[in-house]
Amino acid sequence: MILNRRSLMTTALTLGAMKAFPGLSFAQARPLVFATFTGSWEEAHKAVLVPAFRKANADAAMVLDPMLSVDQIAKVNAAKANPPIDVMLHDPGPALVAIGQDLVEPYPVEKSAYYKDLISEAQEPMGPSPFFQVVGLTYNPEAVKTPPTSWADLWKPEFKGRVGITNLNSTLGTGWLVEIAKMRGGSEANVDPGFKALEELKPNLSAVAANPGALATLFQQGQIDISPGNFNAIQILKARGVPVEFVAPKEGAIAFKTTIHIVKNSPNRELAFKLIEAALTAEVQTTLMNPPYLIVPTNSKVAMGGEIARVLAKDTAELKQKFVFQDWKKINEQRSAWIERFNREIKI
Amino acid sequence: MGTAPASRDVTSYGMGLAAPLALFFLVFFVAPLLQLLWLSLHNDTAGLHWGLGQYLHFLTDPFSLSVLGSTLLLGAEVTLVCLVLGFPIAWLYQRVGPRLQTIIILIVLLPLLTSVVVRTFAWIVILGRQGIINATLQSLGIIDTPLRLLYTQFGVVIALAQVQMPLMTLPLITALGRIDPNLDDASCSLGAGSWRTFFRIVLPLSLPGVIAGCTLTYAAAITAFITQSLIGGGQMLFMPMYLYQQASTLQNWPFASAISIIFLLAVLAVVSVFTTLGRLSRGYGGA
Repeated sequence: MILNRRSLMTTALTLGAMKAFPGLSFAQARPLVFATFTGSWEEAHKAVLVPAFRKANADAAMVLDPMLSVDQIAKVNAAKANPPIDVMLHDPGPALVAIGQDLVEPYPVEKSAYYKDLISEAQEPMGPSPFFQVVGLTYNPEAVKTPPTSWADLWKPEFKGRVGITNLNSTLGTGWLVEIAKMRGGSEANVDPGFKALEELKPNLSAVAANPGALATLFQQGQIDISPGNFNAIQILKARGVPVEFVAPKEGAIAFKTTIHIVKNSPNRELAFKLIEAALTAEVQTTLMNPPYLIVPTNSKVAMGGEIARVLAKDTAELKQKFVFQDWKKINEQRSAWIERFNREIKI
Repeated sequence: MGTAPASRDVTSYGMGLAAPLALFFLVFFVAPLLQLLWLSLHNDTAGLHWGLGQYLHFLTDPFSLSVLGSTLLLGAEVTLVCLVLGFPIAWLYQRVGPRLQTIIILIVLLPLLTSVVVRTFAWIVILGRQGIINATLQSLGIIDTPLRLLYTQFGVVIALAQVQMPLMTLPLITALGRIDPNLDDASCSLGAGSWRTFFRIVLPLSLPGVIAGCTLTYAAAITAFITQSLIGGGQMLFMPMYLYQQASTLQNWPFASAISIIFLLAVLAVVSVFTTLGRLSRGYGGA
């Protein structure tokens, strides 16, 4: 390491400043920790959100600590008074668990410059939604010549032994079952019709994957040709050259609000707020909407473009009309009973 | 540095050397295990009300018991496949020259050098609809439509057997190596045929290795979360996945703890059966 006069001066000044303002060094005791999701989410946040945040906040130190929602909750629960995470990211189910366990702070809505720009579905006072995850039909265009248009197409006899689904461990699996139930006259409170429909789907089922990620492998191996799938996961597969296409069914694509929260008792509360603000800006959301990320924006000022405009929605109005949001409060009430029932009934 | 006390027994070692590891186990294994037990004795997810509710729930629920049963059965099937396929390799190892021995040991160890995830994905490629097995059978005209191999019990057993094979073969190689080859010749010269020699001499003497191999393979097979879930899929529920579901997706930690404790006890029971057999075999081998 070469020490020149400038770097020595900077170091000396920094040390001096820390001595003069002890509060400064206390606040910097630990950098801001954002527990994002693993995989493509981490890549997108590292490449876009972190630089935007640091630019707006004088290069404030922050780290990404990617982990699953359940792990975030477990870690914060283990040290509620001095949590190791400042900002959490959750799917709708775990978000309600985190709120129920009193792990997150209400978002300071009145202080926020961007909260009011979010479309109404994304405005959650306990933590706004910086992006949506969308579930629709995924199919292999080489094997399925006429693109499917409805969830009901999965039951077509031509897909005998070609359909893949996931079990209810995932948000995708649970949300999809609720949607199927709704299609047959059920609701978040009554998924009986959904289970009946699953029973009828059995001849077509080739695989019940343990998680949505496994569906990707099954497409690659030709084990399945059609399945419910996550828009973003499909884009990654497509980019790798796997023949898959995504289509929003006419009943509406299932949209999950992924919400971002300030952790209660966070020592970096102000920076946490700033990070979430950065995630809500139209600039960050526009960049994330473009390739290679293709993340569905929630800020109404973002002009939809590219693949998202083509496959999902051209603008906020169409998005509201084509997306189906589910009542996860109701879903969470009975989810464990459904998982148990799924365990028992779905054997192929 | 004077002379050691006369009473000191040179064959005994101080416990001090084992203390670091013992302490490590105490802090990172025994303590969490006790915490698990403590948690499992609560009837509610918040851990406030004491009771045996979780255990009652599991032990009176036919579904939970069937998950336990199918997991233990899976272990037995995998162990059997490993034993039947592994024994000839170990036997061969003792009867070939040093160069072939090196090759055999390399083949046996090779799977251990790649990650379980990689090996399991390889099995997805092999067993898939357009996988190697189906493609071969189809090109030979033996089958018209692809067989369903992936996401079946058969697939899980085959994949697990390959993944866990070294755990069976290595103890067998050691055990067979300890048998005096003259015993074989003696048996033959006294008029016993090859099969009789094998069942009366080789097999009994190798039993300690068989028991050790079976214990290791069994324990590894029933707890192999990755292979079970990737090859078995979401509809074949084994204990590790059941546990994960309860702990992670449903956040029902007391029930998950109870499942772990029950699973642990069931495995201990099976392992102790193996050990008892091992003790008996030692008597048999010595007789």
